[in-house]
Amino acid sequence: MKDSIPVGLGEIKISQDPEDILVAYGLGSCVAIGMADPQIPIAGLLHAVLPYNPNGNVSSSPKYVNNGLELLFKELISRNAHPARLIIRVAGGANMLNAPGFTQSFNIGSRNVEATYETLQRLKLKVTSQEVGGTIGRTVRFYVRDGKMTIRTLGNQEREI
Amino acid sequence: MDESQTQPSKLQSVLSSLTTEGIHNAARAMTQMVGETFSVTDPNISSVKFRDIPEILGGPENVAVGIYLRIEGNITGHIMLIVPYNKALELADLIMGTPIGTTQSLGQMERSALAELGNLTGSFFLNAIAESTGAHIRPSPPAVIVDMVGAIMDIILATSDIFSEEVLLIQAKFVRNGKETQADFWIIPDHTTVDTLTEKGNPRL
Repeated sequence: MKDSIPVGLGEIKISQDPEDILVAYGLGSCVAIGMADPQIPIAGLLHAVLPYNPNGNVSSSPKYVNNGLELLFKELISRNAHPARLIIRVAGGANMLNAPGFTQSFNIGSRNVEATYETLQRLKLKVTSQEVGGTIGRTVRFYVRDGKMTIRTLGNQEREI
Repeated sequence: MDESQTQPSKLQSVLSSLTTEGIHNAARAMTQMVGETFSVTDPNISSVKFRDIPEILGGPENVAVGIYLRIEGNITGHIMLIVPYNKALELADLIMGTPIGTTQSLGQMERSALAELGNLTGSFFLNAIAESTGAHIRPSPPAVIVDMVGAIMDIILATSDIFSEEVLLIQAKFVRNGKETQADFWIIPDHTTVDTLTEKGNPRL
């Protein structure tokens, strides 16, 4: 029996148990970013809510994409993960308000995705696979053993990205 | 669920009374709309921490219906109503006059019916704010979102830092022509809306 570890809003969970699955339930505009080095094995999943921390790095918090990615990356490296071996997968960032008049001012999902790519670029990291944007919520599972990521949306089968 | 419910504060009482009036107002308007008496009996209002909503609804992955209104004008803010999915189906039946259990999924028609209920409830709330503050505000057309609870809550979290705060849980019985359904829903106004009620010397406080 594999163990599911829930990753709540603004949290990072890291595991070195190959049986573990890190899960972010019901992502809307939030983004989930998984990083794994299966050779160790080690994997971490970030569930970020907002793109950039308005206070810079003064009060770093995984609630923000930029801070969260830095914290996650640093922690994995400190536990001997190798940057070149990292599998990085990105999911979420939906724009939940699709009704007329809402899209323009509420594109927080798109901004979260942009912040993800900008931060990863700054850390010189490449995305292995992604499923971002759209207008529906997702549950994301990240497998410590091999860095596999699956996504479930309402009324659809779970699928791998 | 009991642990997450606390005695409402003074501000919560004001919000509660506004909400209660809002629901009754919605029921009166519904009566005119459907041409049959549509009523709400004894709404019970308590407060629940925002962060506990997913667990009460069976987890962040469970399906719910969110009815979202943006406040436009010289105050900006928003109000979200969250209804569990099965209750939304029953409410749709009640509004459309079909036997409870008829609606199995939410099509365009059912969504419009729910949007109207949210609109009527939310607009009343906004009118009260406008009256007590003299602000010129109007609600946007309602957006109805059917999705995972977590994804619906993200809409609020993207603009308000209310994760640890308390929101209103309304448990009310909606009755139409002898048919009734018990529905629980949450009303989540943002900081701007709440602050406006306290700062501008609301006579009810």
